[in-house]
Amino acid sequence: MREIVLTREDANTEFALLTEWLVEDRTEVSAGQPVCVVETTKATVEVESPGEGTIVQLYAEDVEVELGKTIAYVAETADELAAIDAKAEERPAPKPAAGDRKATRKAVELAELHGVDLSGVEKRGFITEKDVEELIARQKASATPAAGPILAGVSTDGVSLPSTFDLDERAGVLDPSFLASLDHDAFRALSMGSKIAALREAGAQIGEGVDVGEGSLVVASRIVIADGVRLGPRATIVCEEIVAIGELSQFGADLELRCRRAFLGAGIWAGRSIRFGGGGHRDPWATLTVGDLAFVGDEAFVNVCRPVLIGREVFLTMRSMIVTHNIGHSVLEGFENRFAPVVLEDRSQVGLGAVLYAGSRIGAEAIVASNSYVVGEIPAGAFAIGVPAKATGSSSHKLSDARRLELARRMIDDLHELLALRGHAVSAIEEGDPRGFEIDGTRVAFTPSYRGGVEAPAVILALDVRGDVTDGIAVVDLVGRRVHGSGGVVLDSVREFCRKRGIRLEPGPWSYSGGLV
Amino acid sequence: MSLFGVAAGMALRGRRPILEIMFGDFMALGFDQIVNGISKFREMYDDQVTVPLVVRAPMGARRGYGPTHSQSLEKLLLGIPNICVVACSECHDIGALLTAAVEDERPVFFIENKLLYGRPNRRPEDGHIGELAVRESGDPYAALTFSATDFTEGSATIVTYGGMLPIVLDAVTELVLEHEIFCEVVALSQLVPMELAAVLESVARTGALVTAEEGTLTGGLGAEIAARVQEAAWSDLRAPVQRIAARDGIIPSARPLEDAMLPSVEGVVDAVMAIEGAQR
Repeated sequence: MREIVLTREDANTEFALLTEWLVEDRTEVSAGQPVCVVETTKATVEVESPGEGTIVQLYAEDVEVELGKTIAYVAETADELAAIDAKAEERPAPKPAAGDRKATRKAVELAELHGVDLSGVEKRGFITEKDVEELIARQKASATPAAGPILAGVSTDGVSLPSTFDLDERAGVLDPSFLASLDHDAFRALSMGSKIAALREAGAQIGEGVDVGEGSLVVASRIVIADGVRLGPRATIVCEEIVAIGELSQFGADLELRCRRAFLGAGIWAGRSIRFGGGGHRDPWATLTVGDLAFVGDEAFVNVCRPVLIGREVFLTMRSMIVTHNIGHSVLEGFENRFAPVVLEDRSQVGLGAVLYAGSRIGAEAIVASNSYVVGEIPAGAFAIGVPAKATGSSSHKLSDARRLELARRMIDDLHELLALRGHAVSAIEEGDPRGFEIDGTRVAFTPSYRGGVEAPAVILALDVRGDVTDGIAVVDLVGRRVHGSGGVVLDSVREFCRKRGIRLEPGPWSYSGGLV
Repeated sequence: MSLFGVAAGMALRGRRPILEIMFGDFMALGFDQIVNGISKFREMYDDQVTVPLVVRAPMGARRGYGPTHSQSLEKLLLGIPNICVVACSECHDIGALLTAAVEDERPVFFIENKLLYGRPNRRPEDGHIGELAVRESGDPYAALTFSATDFTEGSATIVTYGGMLPIVLDAVTELVLEHEIFCEVVALSQLVPMELAAVLESVARTGALVTAEEGTLTGGLGAEIAARVQEAAWSDLRAPVQRIAARDGIIPSARPLEDAMLPSVEGVVDAVMAIEGAQR
């Protein structure tokens, strides 16, 4: 492989202008063939190919190149070409120079928010927020109304919508006359059985084992509540169009849920005094979705006047706040007036007391640190902190197989210690594979790879599960995050122990009563 | 000193010499000739002679040349009567400026920033340079006025010249892209005698002024411009004039220390932001 390098000829010249390529990229060139024109301060010169082969150009035309840099390679064989390409992949993409950008940060954010293409702005000079506003207005005026109000065109990339989002449109439709004559205070005072019976009678679809706490009110044009849902005491759910809750989801005391549409998934765990709604909760775009297995901490506040999409297994912790509008002072006096959705992609996490401003989007598996203030986007997998929040690193790090095995193996020791400290009779840890101990006649043990052949009763933790799971055996797949087989209080204890290490196991729910830990 | 004397003699004898003093710092050696001869002969001899010489003086730092080869000393020429100081920039028609200087009957000090030698000459095309709209005054030593909004609105005028122009333009671009603050820039080429029509015209639109020069702050071009603009356009100004310049000190050889001494893109951005803050 040969390189074409711009050589530095004198002390005062550091850059040259690569004005023109005389050959197409990745075409055959011969030795001595002029391949490009370079303009220095002293002269305009043609640069010749040092040999025969395929040219790979590293720069576009009309760019300044630092002297001493390689501007192209000439590959003599296919292997060399592959080596050049492999090298190119390692190289980070070049940062766009200031001159390459012509849209302002505000313009780019607004365009992303509305999903408009900046190439639609026809203008000489910079593209500003005002230009994008005009483009949006033009598109609105000319186009048929785009997305309906349910998700208002918000991208669901990276968001697993909850299991309840695609319900049959006839499911759980209430008799309008029931709603018209409903006395809210009187309904709150009814016993749980009477409430559920009255709602079912009116057309609501309510599953088995649903627990509606004392003093609670559930009103919506459509109500679909799956099996095992628990609503804490004094819940207030008032939705104009629909409330749908997936199985086994539970909400603590004093829940307030007011919006036009609420699609809540299965296996959600939400604490007490949580409020969804606030200003604009009756707006046409007031849609809330919360993905399966999401967590919402105590006293969280989520304003829903534009769509709020919370993905699967999102961790929205205590007192965090989401706002979708800002209407402080007059737009005609230059104050910002903003209505915009907020999206939390799957498995993202929001720390205690963090605030997500209208238009925020948290990428999948990104973490926002406590008390941060998010304006705009946090990239997937980033750790972001600050006011305003900025990505400072990654939300997780790559584990080697050996390190993962070591951490998993240690879990048995930690569980053993915890049970002993809680006063339960546990046997000493027995080395071997599986390695573990006994509690209440049940063996609890870890094996890197489960292949069957374990004596019941047992709860086995494994990184890889392939063997049959027979009666009396429960196998916890720590990597696939799934429980195979069933078990009693010991399995519940293991699940709870795993949950406290962020390992949430399916099938749900997330928390277990009666565990030993 | 003798070079200046030889050039002065040639000019008095009807030639049009171009004296290049590589490193403008060494102009100090010719100061007696400049102050007591070159600038005075015409008036002292009642217009019977002219001294049409051109002194090409490379100025400026950012190459690590140290304290005596990096200065911007054109401010020392301020206030010397009967001379002309012209500074070219990468956006001016440099050939036309030099031709005008040679044709000028006055002694012309032609200031060239060293970094210019390694950069392309970016002239307006179709009234624009990059994303910025540009107007050029019709004077032989033209002033260029840049606008980020095609002259419809502006938060401040930044007046500059020579090697500071690319730094100011980078700052203006950053202000637009990051903050949507739109500035106008006036790039002067005629520094002495001071001609500020383009600056006053721009300040009438923007209501605020920042001066930016690479020389040291005290007694610089910015100080003179500020004095003249507040005198002529006090009622147009809504904030105090901000001056951006090198610190009053010598220029170190180490590049990072040199950068710390000299005006920067951030400095210009901060000055404009300060004006915006003062306005709110």
